[in-house]
Amino acid sequence: MPIEVTDLCFSYKKGTPFEKEVLQGVTLHIEDGEFVGLIGPTQAGKTTLAQHFNALFIPQQGRVIVNNCDTADKNADLIRLRHDVGYVFQNPDYQLFAATVGEDIAFGPKNQGLKSPEIIKRVSRAMSQVGLDYTSFNDRDIFALSGGQKRRVAIAGVLACRPKILVLDDITAGLDPRGREEILKVIRKLHSEEKITIIFISNSMDEVAELAERIIVVDRGRIVKDDNTRQVFRKTADLKAIGLEMPEIMIIAERLSSCGYNMPDAVLNLEEALQKIAENLQEGQVKKHWN
Amino acid sequence: MELTRNITLGVYLPGETAIHRLDPRTKIIAATMLITLLLFIKSYEAYGFFLIFTAGIIVFAGIPLSYALCGLKPMLPVLLLMWIFQFFLYSTPDANILFSWWIFTATDAGLHMGNIITLRVLFLFTVTTILTLTTSIVNLTDGLESLLKPLRKIGLPSQELVMTMIIALRFVLILAEELDKIIKAQMARGVAFDRGSFIQKTRKLFPVFLPLFINAFKRAEELIVAMEARSYSGGKGRTKMKTLHMGRVDLGAGLIMLLFTILMIYIIISAAPQI
Repeated sequence: MPIEVTDLCFSYKKGTPFEKEVLQGVTLHIEDGEFVGLIGPTQAGKTTLAQHFNALFIPQQGRVIVNNCDTADKNADLIRLRHDVGYVFQNPDYQLFAATVGEDIAFGPKNQGLKSPEIIKRVSRAMSQVGLDYTSFNDRDIFALSGGQKRRVAIAGVLACRPKILVLDDITAGLDPRGREEILKVIRKLHSEEKITIIFISNSMDEVAELAERIIVVDRGRIVKDDNTRQVFRKTADLKAIGLEMPEIMIIAERLSSCGYNMPDAVLNLEEALQKIAENLQEGQVKKHWN
Repeated sequence: MELTRNITLGVYLPGETAIHRLDPRTKIIAATMLITLLLFIKSYEAYGFFLIFTAGIIVFAGIPLSYALCGLKPMLPVLLLMWIFQFFLYSTPDANILFSWWIFTATDAGLHMGNIITLRVLFLFTVTTILTLTTSIVNLTDGLESLLKPLRKIGLPSQELVMTMIIALRFVLILAEELDKIIKAQMARGVAFDRGSFIQKTRKLFPVFLPLFINAFKRAEELIVAMEARSYSGGKGRTKMKTLHMGRVDLGAGLIMLLFTILMIYIIISAAPQI
């Protein structure tokens, strides 16, 4: 299910004195099975862009075609489209409403008009996908869950619709380190095992550098960069200019470079950094520095 | 989908016009006078004059007319319902029957009453919208507080009352934004709010209103803590950073209001025997 966006423009509160241009001619193409990081400063238009993918916003100008379905087409089956393109919001409290975990996850499949054995199957599958045990969590009170658990229920609620594309809108914000790690593990698995296309919106460069294969940088309603992750992080000055931070691991690598280590331009994760440091130490390149 | 686009109540539209510069007290008193007049207007001529006057203010304050009116859009179904009720249920003994259907009888008096009440609500809303569009929240608070101050003597907690009103006004937009997000989150899971029978449609509102209420209570609680953390303890002993001053503009506006009020009272009295 490829996503094809052509020259998309969108203004918030169009036709009022508060009109604000949010997207100004965005063109992009996302293929099946990609893991795309969508980054940019706040108010850059990331969320507005992503909400065009499942027709929560209809283009004011330009076109959005998802799986050969034009979202602006009056006859398009948008309900089906929204099941194919799952969208998880940052705040699970906007989504969770049912008394129990199982009931809430079943909400999507019920909207699809499925029968109850199939719904139960999907609920238990979605729960196992996000690492929640069906027997102990199915009847749990939703409002007694921790932040991380709530987010996993929210993801499960979307996964139960069996999406082929999953948009994750800053879902790790405000989580404690363990909750964050658990969520990232779930996402990684969904992409590698289930082959779901993932569009990952995040303000954390560390997460994006670690997870995404391709990065789209949005700034003031335009795409300013669209390349594979390593290429994007190689041009650190460009990112800094629009107010984005470097991944922490890259800052460490940069410091090591200036101390005489031989580090590559863009180190994206901890394993890679450790390996390079080990190589440096074995080759004895930094010896003179320490002496 | 954009829910907040049509909400104008409680929104401030910054500007530099004389209307914006007026002392908030002048504007509040003027709005109160206009609203009081509205309660007595029962003739179409008077509404005509009222329309000209309010339209004049809207234009003079630099508010785009389409924007001032778009706030009315979400209210239309309610207004229509109200009009229907008046039309079929209101009657006077000497009214002419227009037509009868089942247990309902429509009379010309009902038609007139329906029109008058609908117009009244429309104008009520417009006057309040003009007030909030041209007055910032801070000014509105200060103005209201200053006007209600004399009532403190008889034990009315004016500052607290105003604070409550202002918070309620602020929350209109905040809750609308939240509602927007919740509706989207549920739409993303495939809810079709516009499909199904009336009962089915009503049931679909449950996944929207439950999170909305829970979040509203949570927000209220957080607000209380945030206020207490900054030692809020009601109006006693509070001072203002900016004090209000009436000027020449206010005098002019007061005179215009006075003239308009006299005109309206004249029309109301001369048209009184109608109903």
